[in-house]
Amino acid sequence: MTTIGRTRLADIGTYVAFGVICLFFAGPLLWLVSLSIRTSAEIYVSNINLWPKNSTLENYASALNNPLFPIYLWNGLKLAVGGAFGAMLFAAPAAYALSRFRFRNQQLTMIGLLAVQMISPLVIMVPLYRYMDRVGLTDSHVGAMMIYIAVAAPLFTWMLKGFLDGVPQSLEEAAMIDGCTRFGAFMRIVLPLSLPGLTSAFVLNAILGWSQFIIPFILISKPGLLPIAVGIFNFQGTYSQTSTQILAAASVISIVPAVVVFLVLQRFIVGALMSGAVKG
Amino acid sequence: MSQDAAVGAASRTGSRHKKAWHLAERPLVWLAPLTLLLFVTYVYPAIDVIRYSFTDATLLNPEYAYTTDSFKAVIRSPDLPGILWVTFAFVVASVILQLVLGLLVAMALHRGVRRRLPGVSVVRIIILSAWIVPGVAAGIVWQLMFNEASYGFLNAVLRGAGLSPVAWLSDPNIALWSAVIANVWRGTAFSMLLLYAGLVVIPSSLYEAASVDGATALKQFWYITLPQLRPILLINTVLISIFTLNTFDLILPLTGGGPGRATEVLALYTYNTVFRNFDLSNGAVLAVVLLLISIVFTLIYVRLLPREL
Repeated sequence: MTTIGRTRLADIGTYVAFGVICLFFAGPLLWLVSLSIRTSAEIYVSNINLWPKNSTLENYASALNNPLFPIYLWNGLKLAVGGAFGAMLFAAPAAYALSRFRFRNQQLTMIGLLAVQMISPLVIMVPLYRYMDRVGLTDSHVGAMMIYIAVAAPLFTWMLKGFLDGVPQSLEEAAMIDGCTRFGAFMRIVLPLSLPGLTSAFVLNAILGWSQFIIPFILISKPGLLPIAVGIFNFQGTYSQTSTQILAAASVISIVPAVVVFLVLQRFIVGALMSGAVKG
Repeated sequence: MSQDAAVGAASRTGSRHKKAWHLAERPLVWLAPLTLLLFVTYVYPAIDVIRYSFTDATLLNPEYAYTTDSFKAVIRSPDLPGILWVTFAFVVASVILQLVLGLLVAMALHRGVRRRLPGVSVVRIIILSAWIVPGVAAGIVWQLMFNEASYGFLNAVLRGAGLSPVAWLSDPNIALWSAVIANVWRGTAFSMLLLYAGLVVIPSSLYEAASVDGATALKQFWYITLPQLRPILLINTVLISIFTLNTFDLILPLTGGGPGRATEVLALYTYNTVFRNFDLSNGAVLAVVLLLISIVFTLIYVRLLPREL
């Protein structure tokens, strides 16, 4: 066979692989969407047509008309954005120090951050629940957000440190020679220059916060305070089988914001994440 | 006021300025907020978990005494071997599949990008979407795929092909593998991203030299791709092992740990012990086990990372 023919054949093979990959990864999500636009009659018709005969958006309206659902969404947004913002306040100065200073135990600090990231939130939630219960911080967004911040801060620091390593120091050094304090240079030069890195880390951590389940699941029991991740889990428990289509619609609503925001910024986020994971 | 005192005061404000300036030169000052936060929320609680594991504390009663009974109770618990086996099987199967699938996907994407095949970015976006789906939602999605009622996708396909349906979630011998499939669906994208980053940096001259020497594609994969990817494969293995070990939000909506205890992994068992049975001391013992496993994996990961962080 000629080389060109062989390359063609390999191209076809690649597309076959793509087809299988898309089927496996997109299939379940398409099925979810398909269920979410069915009438309750068609849920029980066992057909594998992705597009139902009488498609409807009724289920989305039903989900959103549930008095708690919009509250779940709002709580999820609040905790996700608040957690990521809080984490940024802790991470930015720490990332600056790790990127710009050379000090003893620097390596150890980075490893410590990594170790913290590896610990399941479940482990720390065991005693934290007890402390928070004692000071009345269970069933409160303040208490939950504190843990969101703590869980996000190490990853935020790693990503930002990786980004700052790539930002040239000459501008801030020039500013400091001109009499700017180090803190002034940090606020007025380093932070604006690291805006792409800050955005990537912020968005990824906000998405992870939106998906965060275990912390609110343990800390919050009042329905009016629950974020969406726990909200749809409770939906699953309360909706009967006959309203699976509404559960599907609610799940789609919970997935779409995370996926859309991520896909818009995916190149930046993935780049920032990989530089942390592989380079260290 | 004497002149000396005035001069003294002036020089004191001067030194305070100097001190503030010096303070910003100390890395510790920049690191202090984060350190404090992580100490309060991670280090102290982690130590406290270890302390609680030596008590008879419950979640409901603030009083407790020190004892080693909870360790004995956990070890003697008839549930433990089953839980550990389920956890082990879940983690090992998930990790192997995520590695293999992640590598295949990464190689297909890498080839697609190199050949500039149209549609590569669509494939990439689809895989990343599965990864970014919140864990609970992924559990619900796969619950609907595996469901044995008529709206379950997989059984509908099987019925359509004239095959008998499978009890994906209600057969204890199958449920664990269903959970593995759901977890692989969600986790493969991360594995793929790492391996893709590894593939990109393999010098193409290696492959060119090999094909000049007449090496087949399979040989090139075996003697070039795999050895070159070795460090990243190892790092990847450690990371996805930890992620899988800590998986909790996916399993809860999928099976709730059932049927029976067929899919109750260690993290879920720990949760149930503490927050369902209010048994803080036994739960703390299990949390210590989780903590130790995380620390061991972290140490391995650190050894694998390049020297310069």
